[in-house]
Amino acid sequence: MSRWVLSGLKTGIKTTHYPAQQEIHAGVSPGLPVTGSAEGRTAEICPTAALTSSEGRIEVNYRRCIHCFRCVRSAESAPLDWQQGYEWAARAADRPALETGAFGRSLNVLVVDAGDCGACLSEIAQLTNPYYNIHRLGFFITPTPRNADVLLVVGPATDQMRAALKKAYDAMPEPRRVVAAGVCALSGGIFGPSLVSGAGAADVVPVDVEVPGCPPPPLAILHGLLVAVERKPSAFLSSPSAPANPVEAAP
Amino acid sequence: MILSGALLILFFALCFTGIALAVVLPQRHGSFALAVVASLAAAAITGLGGIVLLSGNSFQCPLWTIPELGTLSLSIDRLSALFLVSAGAVFLAASVFSNAYMQRYVGHYSLRSFSILYYALLLSVTLVLITGDVLAFLIAWEAMAILSYLLVNYEHEREKNIYAGWLMLALSEMGTMAAAFSLLLLANHAHSMSFAGFRGAFHDFGPGMRWAIFLLSFFGFGVKAGLVPFSVWLPRAHPAATANISAVLSGVILNLGLYGIVRVNLDFLPISLPGPGLVVLIVGSVSALIGILYATVENDLKTMLAHSSIENMGLITAALGAGFVFAVDGHTVIASIAFVAALYQMTNHSLYKSLLFLGAGTVDMRAGQRNMDKLGGLMKFMPWTALFLLVGALAISALPPFNGFVSEWLILQSLLRSVELNSIAIGTVFAFCAAALALTAGLVITCFTKAFSMIFLGLPRSPQVEEASEATPSMTVPMGVLAVLCLVLGVAPTWVIPVLDGALAPYAVSGATQALVPPFLNPATPGLPPDFVHDFHDLGAQIGAGIVPASGLVVLHRGGARNPVVFAMSTAYMLVVLVLLLAIVFAVVRFWLARGRTAVRRPLWAGGIQQLRPEMTYTATGYSSPVSVIFNAILHPGAAPETREVIYEHFRTEIRRGDREESHILDRLIFTPLAQGAMAIGNLCAKMHNGKLNTYVTYVLIVLLAVLLIR
Repeated sequence: MSRWVLSGLKTGIKTTHYPAQQEIHAGVSPGLPVTGSAEGRTAEICPTAALTSSEGRIEVNYRRCIHCFRCVRSAESAPLDWQQGYEWAARAADRPALETGAFGRSLNVLVVDAGDCGACLSEIAQLTNPYYNIHRLGFFITPTPRNADVLLVVGPATDQMRAALKKAYDAMPEPRRVVAAGVCALSGGIFGPSLVSGAGAADVVPVDVEVPGCPPPPLAILHGLLVAVERKPSAFLSSPSAPANPVEAAP
Repeated sequence: MILSGALLILFFALCFTGIALAVVLPQRHGSFALAVVASLAAAAITGLGGIVLLSGNSFQCPLWTIPELGTLSLSIDRLSALFLVSAGAVFLAASVFSNAYMQRYVGHYSLRSFSILYYALLLSVTLVLITGDVLAFLIAWEAMAILSYLLVNYEHEREKNIYAGWLMLALSEMGTMAAAFSLLLLANHAHSMSFAGFRGAFHDFGPGMRWAIFLLSFFGFGVKAGLVPFSVWLPRAHPAATANISAVLSGVILNLGLYGIVRVNLDFLPISLPGPGLVVLIVGSVSALIGILYATVENDLKTMLAHSSIENMGLITAALGAGFVFAVDGHTVIASIAFVAALYQMTNHSLYKSLLFLGAGTVDMRAGQRNMDKLGGLMKFMPWTALFLLVGALAISALPPFNGFVSEWLILQSLLRSVELNSIAIGTVFAFCAAALALTAGLVITCFTKAFSMIFLGLPRSPQVEEASEATPSMTVPMGVLAVLCLVLGVAPTWVIPVLDGALAPYAVSGATQALVPPFLNPATPGLPPDFVHDFHDLGAQIGAGIVPASGLVVLHRGGARNPVVFAMSTAYMLVVLVLLLAIVFAVVRFWLARGRTAVRRPLWAGGIQQLRPEMTYTATGYSSPVSVIFNAILHPGAAPETREVIYEHFRTEIRRGDREESHILDRLIFTPLAQGAMAIGNLCAKMHNGKLNTYVTYVLIVLLAVLLIR
């Protein structure tokens, strides 16, 4: 016990400074492809059809990209540009804006696993560890929709989870926000649409904020929550529609 | 006196009219006639008891003389009047309730015989309370015992009921014999069969005789009162009985046992040794604890209420025992407080237990189910019954502002006054008993929150429950009246205590009213130390001075000069504060917190499952499971005797469990060994009869030799 306290004191505070400062440590994010030349078979080698070529340039659909690095490492194509950031979350344009101060100074998040593979969940679990520690921002994970402000959906909304997802959303009080995290929740990802799942959470509940990534790193999910409460600006879900927060990070 | 006599004659006339009507009228009008005539008769004895209780003029009436056996007589003093009033109130409610309730038996069981037995029971109960001599008392007592057996066994086609009835009759007869023996011992010594001749006739009794009479009478009447260890008949008799008879059984018949205990030990032969008082206290405390433990884990509503009756009888008996010990030790005021608390609890128990039994009958009739694991959600279908049962549950859980609170508070307070006792040993016993009673008071809340929530809240757990509908007014109104009485006795203790004290006045050595219910005071009140009056003012007892006549609204024990006010409380103020607090909370929520907001109803959240099934919700068994785990050593829920797994192609497809075998701790520790011992002796005796002629000739020879030797 005393050793635990002492070693803790010796280690000091290691919590990330995001969102006050950008996180610059290596490995906090796998990064996403940005754009590049459409020479060769670049668009065809993408396993999830996230890349399309238009006017000689590659356009990336982040709703589908699982950052598999194939487009970067394949010998058959010119390597795409890659960005190491994590501020990927984008607010859906068709959803109404939030009233100022609607959630007060704290935010309760209900996580619904709508049939995910476990990767997104494990990233969400990281959010409450000492490194990311979302409690310092007033964000809390809650087990019940009755006092939840944000519904954080992961997974492609399988048929078995549709009713539960809808019920959880219906049980939440207004004002409420839905954050869909991971490409499965955005487009069905590598699972859907299929015979057992739909094409993402938007089929069931109105999604306010979309967080791409497969899985999105904890900081991307945190960015999603910050976007949901309008404490961070939104990013874009396709490239090169706009620069997707290029952050200079260590390689 | 004349009015009392007229009421008594009216009562007898009504009972016989009722019997005649039951014989003459066709069965389909039987229940209506029963309800009308029996409730009038019950009202007559309530009135009679009320007149005697409030006026204090006891009623005497010699009947006729039987040669050799003395004069049969009727005599109502305030003590019997108190029992008469509570019996009358319970009978009144149960009779009105019978109108609709007995319809369910029409065409299957004879309503005619039920009505006749019911009137006869009413008569015999009244006679037990108003007879003034041993012979009439014993005849009435025996009639009451047999009639209650017959009524409990009314649904005689069920095998379980027959067993329950036999057990009840056998134990009751044992008790009657012991009680009769003790009364006859007293009569023999007093040379009088009349109770009046008993008073003050036993000054020269030695401790041996006192113990003998105490033990015999306490056993005899304790069986009827449902005290441990002879309480085993009660949880079996109640589920067998119809609801109205259950109400009478718990609210009236059990009280008769207490009446016997109080009569003998307070009136005829006042206890003058600490031993008997301690026995009463310990038996009472053990009864209370065992009763409530079994009530908490029981799932059958009526069996649960029966166990809870054992608990309440235990509480009352414990208070009586504490009173006896205090009286012997010379603390007459505290003794009176304990006796008042016991009688208060007795009256309260009659009211809320009959309310709960009538409610249980309503639930049973409307939902076709008494098992709490199968009920649920009835509040939607039966709102009034739910409300009245809630009141009953709150009252029995001793929560203010209902009546159970006042009496249990007084009982615990009087037990805590054991600090005044001179003997450390007796004080230790008091401490343990007070701890047991405090534990009991806590478990009662578990028990009755379970009962109410499992029956009325949540989802219906069986299809019949969903078809339930509210009972007719003739069933809900009696419950409502009893519920209102529970509230009235709860908020007006300062009016009730003088009446109870009056009932005890001839026996308790000193009145409790002066010590418990002070009149309104001002600093100029003569004869009181100014400090005390000052303390008293701080308690706020003078607040209602201009509005409320006579006594204040505070119950307090003045204590001695060293510590003036020992304990004090006021349920009337508590009610006011409770209402005010609720109103303030409502106003704050409604007009301040909820300003500009609208309430939105969203569907029930149950974890997002497809459909919430009743099987998924908390059950009664689950609710009481912690208690059954903690008290495993006492409750001893026998493990499943046999567990078998069904294995099909390497997969375990099924686990078959045998039914749990539960044995009551009294059966386990007392009655099973007794029965086994008796069987063993019997088997030993049976060995004498081996069928050989030579052996029998030998027996004859031995007997002959023995006779010759003795000669």
